[in-house]
Amino acid sequence: MAQKKEGKILGMERETFRQFMGKYGVSVVMLVMIIAIAIYNPRFLSGANMINVITQISINGMLAFGMCLCITIGGIDLTVGAQLALVGVIMGQTITNAGMPIFVGILIGVGVATLFGFINGFFIAKFNMFPFVVTLSMQLVIRGAAQVISGGKAITFGQAVKNMYYGKFIGIPYPILALLVVFVLMYIMFHWTKLGRYILAVGGNANAAVASGVSEFKIRVICHTLSGFLAGIGAVIMAAKTGSGQSNLGVGYETDAVAASVIGGTSFAGGIATMPGVLIGIFIVGFIYNGINMIGIDANWQSIIRGLVIIGTVMLDMAINGKSRK
Amino acid sequence: MKKVLAVVLASMMVLSLAACGGDDKEETKAPETQAETQAEKDTEAPAETDGAAETDGAAETQAPAGDEAKGGDVNGDGKIIVGYISKNLTDPFHGPINTHAEETFDALVADGTIDEWTKILDGQTLPDVQINCANDCITKGCDYVFIAPAEAEASDPAVTQMAEAGIKVIVFNSKTTSTDDVAWLFSGSDDVEAGRMLARWVVEKCPDGGKFIHCNGILGNSAQIQRTQGMKEIMESDENKDKFEMVADEDTQWSGEKAATAAENALAQYGDELVAVICDNDDMSSAAQSAVNAAGRTDIVCVGVDGNRTPLEMVKAGELGATVLQNGVGQLQAGIDAMVDDINGKAPASKNVDVPFVLVTADNVDEYLK
Amino acid sequence: MKNKDEYIFECEGIYKAFGGTQALADVQLHVKKGEVIALLGENGAGKSTLMKAVIGLHQPDAGSMTFEGKPYSAKGPVDAMKAGISMIHQELNPEPYLTIAESIFLNREDVHGGIFLDKKKQNQRAQEILDQFGFDYPATTVMGKLSLAQMQMVEIIKAVSCDARMIIMDEPTSSLDSEETEHLFATIRDLKSKGVAIIYISHRMDEIFEICDSVAVFRDGTYVGARSMEGVTRDELISMMVGRQVKNVFPKTDCEIGDVVFKVEGLTGKGFEDISFEVRAGEILGLTGLVGSGRSETMRAIFGLDPLEKGRMWLNGEEVTIKNPKDAIKKGVCMVNEDRKNFGLCLFRSIRENISLPNLPAKQPGLLLNQSREKKECAEYAKLLTVKAGSIEHNAFSLSGGNQQKVVIAKWIMAGPKVLILDEPTRGVDVGAKSEIHTLMCQFAAKGMAIIMISSELPEVMGMSDRILVYHEGKLNGEVSREEVLSGAATQEVILAKEFGGK
Repeated sequence: MAQKKEGKILGMERETFRQFMGKYGVSVVMLVMIIAIAIYNPRFLSGANMINVITQISINGMLAFGMCLCITIGGIDLTVGAQLALVGVIMGQTITNAGMPIFVGILIGVGVATLFGFINGFFIAKFNMFPFVVTLSMQLVIRGAAQVISGGKAITFGQAVKNMYYGKFIGIPYPILALLVVFVLMYIMFHWTKLGRYILAVGGNANAAVASGVSEFKIRVICHTLSGFLAGIGAVIMAAKTGSGQSNLGVGYETDAVAASVIGGTSFAGGIATMPGVLIGIFIVGFIYNGINMIGIDANWQSIIRGLVIIGTVMLDMAINGKSRK
Repeated sequence: MKKVLAVVLASMMVLSLAACGGDDKEETKAPETQAETQAEKDTEAPAETDGAAETDGAAETQAPAGDEAKGGDVNGDGKIIVGYISKNLTDPFHGPINTHAEETFDALVADGTIDEWTKILDGQTLPDVQINCANDCITKGCDYVFIAPAEAEASDPAVTQMAEAGIKVIVFNSKTTSTDDVAWLFSGSDDVEAGRMLARWVVEKCPDGGKFIHCNGILGNSAQIQRTQGMKEIMESDENKDKFEMVADEDTQWSGEKAATAAENALAQYGDELVAVICDNDDMSSAAQSAVNAAGRTDIVCVGVDGNRTPLEMVKAGELGATVLQNGVGQLQAGIDAMVDDINGKAPASKNVDVPFVLVTADNVDEYLK
Repeated sequence: MKNKDEYIFECEGIYKAFGGTQALADVQLHVKKGEVIALLGENGAGKSTLMKAVIGLHQPDAGSMTFEGKPYSAKGPVDAMKAGISMIHQELNPEPYLTIAESIFLNREDVHGGIFLDKKKQNQRAQEILDQFGFDYPATTVMGKLSLAQMQMVEIIKAVSCDARMIIMDEPTSSLDSEETEHLFATIRDLKSKGVAIIYISHRMDEIFEICDSVAVFRDGTYVGARSMEGVTRDELISMMVGRQVKNVFPKTDCEIGDVVFKVEGLTGKGFEDISFEVRAGEILGLTGLVGSGRSETMRAIFGLDPLEKGRMWLNGEEVTIKNPKDAIKKGVCMVNEDRKNFGLCLFRSIRENISLPNLPAKQPGLLLNQSREKKECAEYAKLLTVKAGSIEHNAFSLSGGNQQKVVIAKWIMAGPKVLILDEPTRGVDVGAKSEIHTLMCQFAAKGMAIIMISSELPEVMGMSDRILVYHEGKLNGEVSREEVLSGAATQEVILAKEFGGK
């Protein structure tokens, strides 16, 4: 280790090293990041802060998993932020104002989000419209619906709803458990089932997938519906976190979800993504926010640094992977 | 291609290092000053804290029992760390407040009153981002945290969470739902009083009375409700209700353009009888004043609340009689004063600090127009 | 020995490595003025790499080049073009919204005062050049309206208008029909007479014999040798290329032909009309015709990729309707598409995933994939089809054209089809793999599969088919049996005549 011989890196053959980095490159970037932040502020590594960060990333996590599906099939879902607002106010109207059981309120809220996801997918797949255009427009429709339903006012939730964010099960906050469950289910769906294979195939080459008997329509609709459903779950966490349903929540949340997907190796050209990658992407985005606060970076620089770190992560990953991402 | 990549990466590293560089120096400096202040406090603080403990007692603050030698070290980790969660970094109203926070806290660190501060945490006007910042403050071991809430309801968990963690939370500018119950201090301004000030100015300028119109903010907004309430209190009081008549109560939604239209309509309808336009903010009053001035009616009194730049400039130019300024920097400073007192062992007199609005006229405009 | 002035372009000792792979080792090439020289070699032999080095897309690691007697090197195609060397790529990437004139003058526009485009002058000049070449379109036509052959012609015209003294053509005829090919050859002869040297890369031996003066052969990144076309035989060239003697180009074996498996009647759709035929178990049915004559269109409609307006189909005597490819696969009709990159493969997914994609419903009935079984089965079929790859986990992208095609065929063989449609199965495939694919086709037929093969290469159709159907303008125009081919009654000329509408 002390002396590097030519052709060897960290004691590995060059080719082995390259393959290793290809598979674990993003995680290495994450580790470097963790170490760098911890040097500035050792408290960053404390158990309390780690639980804190993972709880914080749970909302973006839900959005990013859904976003990753939509990007993988060569599209995008810009409605996720607005979905957060809509589900929140629906839960407010049903649970707080109409006095329905929490479970029913959640079911209706998430159901509506799923329905809007389905509508996104239907427009995109049926009429062959650009996902960007469809979801950009639907974003306005969904946020508008939230305004109509709430009348522009905030609706407060009781302690029972808030407990879904602040409560713990054997010491682990519920949002972390939710993130874990969703990750495991997404992993199984994406990597161990036919559906996952079809999503990758449609994203990689829709024509070839159709010519191999895959229903492109079905896959596109399923991906957007799932994205809507996951945004709905994220919205429940958001409602519990803020204790309030209001139409102006979740503005601009698409950005972080897209960033997490892309950092995690999801290709905008479609057909390339892995769920562990996206999970790491979600963590990296969370570490960027938490790290900036932990280090105490000059306020006016924060936004610039956030942007540069995202680009830097993707480029670094590309550089050590030696592959191009379109 | 590889070379370009390397250069870009390298320059990015340099850039980010440069950005953090400033903090780096401060952080390395911190331990020394901390050691000094520790020594100072050890010698002089006990006497004061003891005194404070008596008056303070367990009355209202969550200050530790009193065996802790150092005043202000709420969580007892040997350091006084202050958090600052902004509402956002982009709104012109909050810009000067953030700048003031940066200058003041840096100075407090430099003179040893506090050991560290978090720098400005960007709340992005997003309540859940503020909650994240609050959690970060908890993990950083903050003793005092200042927060300008983005939302009354949705930002509330940020305040309650920190209070539960034993932090002395100073809410300023606007309240969250449970601020009165859990916050250590609230420092803000009374919008009802602002409404009264609007009305008093009109009464003073139009001793003979007449017809006036009122331009509302977005209906249901707390500032709109309270300012309107204060205004009506004066205008509908026994001495004024016979002199003044509100001929229109317009839904102008904080919009200057809508207020100007309303003023023009009223002018067309009531002509010389119209004497005043009372607005819930001064974007509207300045726009209304410009409209009536253009119609040659500089005698009409238009007035509103906030102290934004355009109205202040109009006051200076003599085009607008007055505007009611909300003192955001003053609100923050009141909170900081209370904290410094607390560190020095003096409990705040009240949990609610009212920072008065300032009536800005040609006489004092230079003070606020920087 | 060599007369220096005789050669317009020479290179010697060219080396080029990509990572650990030596793509070119000590390669040379000598091109005479006004000569058409063929570059021959299997895919990956180094022809394209060498040409890319010549026009500056790659920088050679070592070696020297001279052009017109002067040392030559290029940093990129623009450089090369300035020096007088142009390349017509196999896959043209025209900007569909540019006009012909704009395409020809791209990067060297006529301008007023250095800033504003002078469209009028540019169109005029373009028109003059087009007229010289007898090109029948106005210079203001947009590229998107032209056929592939016409776009190619525009590229050639562009090269000539840049005063190119050497033009490299990479597989120029791969998407042209016979008539268009003839037209291209006429142009090449014309250029040659003007003293332009042409480097001609092609897999099609007949063309090389027809148009080229000499040939340089490459194998595995090395230079094997050059021959004058006069006196050299096809077998000699092939053995130079592959380093071994390939005896029979078409390994067609006769096998027992059984009952009718698939029958269609009166199929009508976009581009074809009233098509009826039947194909039997063990039979290879060849379909040929000019590009656009409706062969591929018919097959795409049968497979469910395009809608069918009219017509009935029977599979093993039972009438079937096929709504989409999924239906077709379930019923046992599979199709290897002519457009491998767009309809054949997900290039950035692994060989395994590509092979198993259409077979998941049949082979993986469970909720979760049985990945170890999948790996085993896919490896089996990859081996059966002699796919040459380090691992079936490699991306399809990393394979050569021939191996990619084998992966496509493997996935359909795995599906166990009753009818296998192969549209241009050996397009862009090197000689060795081509022969292997032909052998495999015969094996499948022997197992009782009914095979329909579309090909534009007449020797292939004639060498492989039990029966040949000839298309002309969307309709069937005649049938030729294997006996007629073998007896010499049906020659290439006879079939070509049918393609052109003759009887």
